[in-house]
Amino acid sequence: MIVPFSHVLFLAGILFLMGIFCAVTRRNLFMIVLGVEIMLNAASIVFVGAALRWYDLEGQAFALLVLAVAATEVSVGLAMIVYAYRRTGSVDPGAFDLLK
Amino acid sequence: MTLYTFIFYLLAVVIVAATALAITRRNLVHAVIYLVFSFLGTAMLFYLLGAPLLAAFEVIIYAGAIMVLFLFIVMTIKVDASEEKMFPFSQLAPTALFGLIYITIGIFVVVSAPGSYAVLETAVARPEEFGQYVLQRHWLTVEIVSLLLLIALIGVLCVGGQKQRAEIEDKR
Amino acid sequence: MAVLWTKDITLLAAVLATLMPFAAFVLIMVFTRSHQKLSAALSIFAAGVSLICALSLLVAHWNTPEPIQYSGRWLASSDIYIPFGYLLDPVSLLMLAVVAVIGFLILVYSLGYMAGDAGFSRYYALMSLFLWAMMCLAVSPTMFQLYIFWELVGLSSYFLIGFWYEKFSASQAGKKAFIMTRVGDVAMLIGILLVLLHLGNLNILEIDSPSIAARMSPNLLTLSALLIFGGIIGKSAQFPLLTWLPDAMQGPTPVSALLHSSTMVAAGVYLFERLFPFFALSPHAMTVGLAIGTISMLLASTMAIVSRDIKEIWAYSTISQLGFMLMGLDAGSFFSGVFHLTTHAAFKALLFLCAGVFIHKYATNDIFELGRKGSRRLKVPMACSIIAVGALAGLPPLSGFFSKELILAGLAGLANPLWLTAALLGVFLTAYYAFRPIFIMLFPQNSATGFDASSNSGHEAGHDRATYWLMAWPLVILAGLTLVLGFLQDPLQIFLAGQYAFSEMPVESHYAWLPYVASMLAIGGAGLAWMEFGRPGAGRVGFVERIPVLFQLFSERWYLDHLYRYLLKRVVDKGLSHIFAQNDNKVIDGSIDGISHGTVEGGRIIAFLNTGMIQYRLMMIFVVMVLLSLYFFF
Repeated sequence: MIVPFSHVLFLAGILFLMGIFCAVTRRNLFMIVLGVEIMLNAASIVFVGAALRWYDLEGQAFALLVLAVAATEVSVGLAMIVYAYRRTGSVDPGAFDLLK
Repeated sequence: MTLYTFIFYLLAVVIVAATALAITRRNLVHAVIYLVFSFLGTAMLFYLLGAPLLAAFEVIIYAGAIMVLFLFIVMTIKVDASEEKMFPFSQLAPTALFGLIYITIGIFVVVSAPGSYAVLETAVARPEEFGQYVLQRHWLTVEIVSLLLLIALIGVLCVGGQKQRAEIEDKR
Repeated sequence: MAVLWTKDITLLAAVLATLMPFAAFVLIMVFTRSHQKLSAALSIFAAGVSLICALSLLVAHWNTPEPIQYSGRWLASSDIYIPFGYLLDPVSLLMLAVVAVIGFLILVYSLGYMAGDAGFSRYYALMSLFLWAMMCLAVSPTMFQLYIFWELVGLSSYFLIGFWYEKFSASQAGKKAFIMTRVGDVAMLIGILLVLLHLGNLNILEIDSPSIAARMSPNLLTLSALLIFGGIIGKSAQFPLLTWLPDAMQGPTPVSALLHSSTMVAAGVYLFERLFPFFALSPHAMTVGLAIGTISMLLASTMAIVSRDIKEIWAYSTISQLGFMLMGLDAGSFFSGVFHLTTHAAFKALLFLCAGVFIHKYATNDIFELGRKGSRRLKVPMACSIIAVGALAGLPPLSGFFSKELILAGLAGLANPLWLTAALLGVFLTAYYAFRPIFIMLFPQNSATGFDASSNSGHEAGHDRATYWLMAWPLVILAGLTLVLGFLQDPLQIFLAGQYAFSEMPVESHYAWLPYVASMLAIGGAGLAWMEFGRPGAGRVGFVERIPVLFQLFSERWYLDHLYRYLLKRVVDKGLSHIFAQNDNKVIDGSIDGISHGTVEGGRIIAFLNTGMIQYRLMMIFVVMVLLSLYFFF
């Protein structure tokens, strides 16, 4: 026996909050993507924990897929950051305010 | 209170600490490195929770590929770390407020759901069984994900085209 | 109504008596404003019809034991039922007759007095309005109807006091009268509402019946009695709301004669008579009433002693005599108050009408001026004035003597001798101030006391023989009534004995000496006035004027007006109005402005979200997620 399931949920919740914090509060485009990564990681922790709770492999399968999609999304995001940097010379989100 | 419990809490502390450090570093490289530690901790957690294959994938893909990619890009784009205005108040305050609300709701929801008090028992999904499960039941999903990867690749190639490089060389 | 009103002769008489003046008012105001003689004819005709009906009702029902009540449905809505109608019992019939007689005589008198005035038709219309309101007040069966006509009487008084509205002082006086009586009326309304709450309806007969003692606790009875008495204080110009009546003399003299001596101000006393059993149930209210009547009587007498304006003297006298009536009623002696009301109406109206003749001829109100200009030459008014003043002072065998004796006898029956003493002092003062103007006018000194009295009658001084006789014969009739009414005491007493079930026995006074003492005091007062003013070679300075402090106090009306002005300025203007103005500006305007301001500022705050920065958009996603979870889980 390991821990009650709620503890896993609490851990994932805290991690999710930290991910949001990083995405919303840091004035750097990289940190936004990093924050998204942290959030995805937290979600996969929940899935794996739930798989163990209900003895269903479905959770783990979904965590695997999350992993794959995260990889996709990071690559595209980073490519866009590079493009944006080349266009404006800055990675501050405040510099991109054409859509006021 | 078994050994596993103790390991779980240790891992939890490590993960949270590493993530907290990661999100507060001014230097991007340091942040990424700390996040790698966090993901390593998560991998160990997966192993503890009975998903060894996923633990391996976490290390290889997440910590190994994605974070390294991050490092590549960060070092290519020489971001002046000291320029960044850390945690501006106008963004911090609402986030903190709603974060608090979120935590409160979260605690409340978890505590009030009766199913969340079930204690996790140790179990292992052996890799071969897990692999069979995924490729038998979710083969379509796997195919679609691979297609997604292909599209991402093409997209990245389009976005990161070479034409603009000269402009930035002039700007600097 | 159960009986068709044209068939029942009593009802017909009552309807005609009360509605004819109203018809005259409407017709004059709408159609005949430009035809003066026609308006006057309409009004006098209506008054004549009312007179005939009132007198015939009085005679026909002289012996009726039960009150006759007619009531029709006016407003009915689920539980609420408001009737209107007529209540004919001895005291209301008597009042109706008094109002009709004096009203008719004064309307005839006005033909001469108001001749040539620009507002001649308006005058007659307003007098008809007043007659209608007063008569309906007299025969109201419910307090609700009575209150409506009470207000209407006050309204017509306002119109008539400010009749010459071009004069600023007249319109001021009209406003003052209306507002002061209004203050009393507010108290009365609260009292009426209290009664309504506990009794369920406002039927006067029910209020007078003993059953009300079972429905309302003694404290509640006292409270509502005191509140209704507040209305009486306002209408009958008792202390402390008495300063409007001297100012009301700005109106034409016939108006003063009709409204402000015999009928309108008597409406307060009449209300007391109407609700006499109700008031009698609460000894505290009776004592308070007694005190207020006494104070008013003495106060007004002192003010009359030092006044130079003839109408003002008679106005103070009215206040004083009304206080005297209230003293009699509050002492428990019902008939004394009614009788004095009747006799007072006759001789006070006579006094005012005589004064009107003097003012009309000599265009001045000041008694020294009148004397100097030769008022003693007008025989008929002078003689009638002497008769009326004798009745006022209470000299036998005039009517005033009999009614005053009754009141004094009623006061003698009280435990505390203080009231009787005050009343006797009042008798002395009354005789003094009553004879003072008579002697001044009869025996003028050619070396005038130099005070150039301002004529505040604003009236033409010319007249001819015909109008003189038109004004003279009402005076003669009223003088005759003054002489005769005294001897009708016994028949009237029997008539009114059937009024209330517990009618009190005439007090067989243990004080047999009372009539003699009162007469001696009256003669003494007259003698003092003779000594000071009438005697050839007299100093013509009253004993009060020798004491400057007292003179100042009395002539400034005991500083009551000053007190009211001070209260108005401090409490109402600086206090209440200020608070309400501040509330209007700061609270009401401020909150509306604050809402708009807050909206603008809120918009400004939220606008920053749209600056284009993506992190705010991310934050919004998070916030919405949290709020949605709030919504779903709670």
